[in-house]
Amino acid sequence: MQVCEHQIPRLLAVDDSELIHRLLKSRLRGERLEIHAAMTAEEGLDMARALLPEVILLDIDLPDQNGFDVLRELKTDSMTHDIPVIFVSGSTDADARVRGLDMGAHDFVAKPFDVAELKARIRSAVRICLLIKMLAQRAQIDGLTGLWNRAYFDQRLRQEFAEATRYDRDLSLILCDLDHFKALNDNHGHPFGDQVLEDFAEILSSGRGGDIPCRYGGEEFVVILPDTPADEAMIAADRYREAIRKMRWEEHPDVQSTASFGVADLNCLTERSTENLVDAADKALYRAKQQGRDRVCLADQSDQNDLKLSA
Amino acid sequence: MKEQPEPNEGSWPETPLLSEYAGEADMAELVTYFVGELNNRIQSIERAWQEQDKQRLRDHAHQIKGAAAGYGFPQITDSAAELERELNEEATIADLSERVEALIGLCRRATSSSDGA
Repeated sequence: MQVCEHQIPRLLAVDDSELIHRLLKSRLRGERLEIHAAMTAEEGLDMARALLPEVILLDIDLPDQNGFDVLRELKTDSMTHDIPVIFVSGSTDADARVRGLDMGAHDFVAKPFDVAELKARIRSAVRICLLIKMLAQRAQIDGLTGLWNRAYFDQRLRQEFAEATRYDRDLSLILCDLDHFKALNDNHGHPFGDQVLEDFAEILSSGRGGDIPCRYGGEEFVVILPDTPADEAMIAADRYREAIRKMRWEEHPDVQSTASFGVADLNCLTERSTENLVDAADKALYRAKQQGRDRVCLADQSDQNDLKLSA
Repeated sequence: MKEQPEPNEGSWPETPLLSEYAGEADMAELVTYFVGELNNRIQSIERAWQEQDKQRLRDHAHQIKGAAAGYGFPQITDSAAELERELNEEATIADLSERVEALIGLCRRATSSSDGA
């Protein structure tokens, strides 16, 4: 886990009263917190963006700008969007509390605050912040296509490889790459290129249940096929190949997009490892490209020899 | 300090108002700071009152309300809250006068206890 738990969480207090800042600094002294103070809404927003603290304590009754406006700005800026905000108000007005929470505040504390309660609420917000960071870091979905991303693929392949090895099961990989994708982007624009990527992802997603399609990077995709030998993977790959070449787009009816595929399974390997499986599929894909694209090639012994020579 | 209250403090009795944290060693510095601040604020509030500057009066009341209880003076928070409420409700000068005097009175009692601790 990459979340920096060793780092002392930073709290940004936005309050127009020095009385409150002094009180907070002193009363939170025992907490594992680095405390930063902002006296105005503007300063608060600037510091929030510069510091990206783990928690913000925001006085909702700021004079120069309504605290709600600060909250709104924090929540609309993608940089500060995920920072938990505890808003503080001397007003006992339930409407204000509901409004703050509905605007995305994490929590509310009444002013004057009970120190033990305030500490507990800050700790809770810091926990949430660390969880959000962890989720973001480990987010495993590719933003454009909605497929699993490369990070997920790497981890999932290791897992599937371990299972296949342990239970002596088949495991195949289809590596595929859209043909002449750069030219398509250049001639028709990136938005259309993105559309083709999304449609190809859609095709890969509508394959057999249990197969795991991932975006490998750029216009390259990879599908993990657990419990599947190479000959079945070849059939699946050919279905994908047919589907993409049949695809047409209203805005560019003259465009035909094709893809090349490399297939490998564990039996193609002289030495079994996840790296060698990916390499074998990659070599087969390279051969499909060499032989004229829009085709599926199976990893073979010559690929293996190439692997050994290049190793 | 055994000094008598200042001679011009007039009509209300100057029983010192102690912080709830009086006697807590780690709070002494904080309470002393707050009492010192209150001393400045008393004058500021009086000036705002004389000038009928409701906005400044409201700001003071609001800030003191939010902070005083945190420093161990919940009575001052309550008093400031009442003043703030009346200011928002456009109360009569007579009502406001009573509230301002009540708040200043409490603040003086806090400052008269030397450092509140």
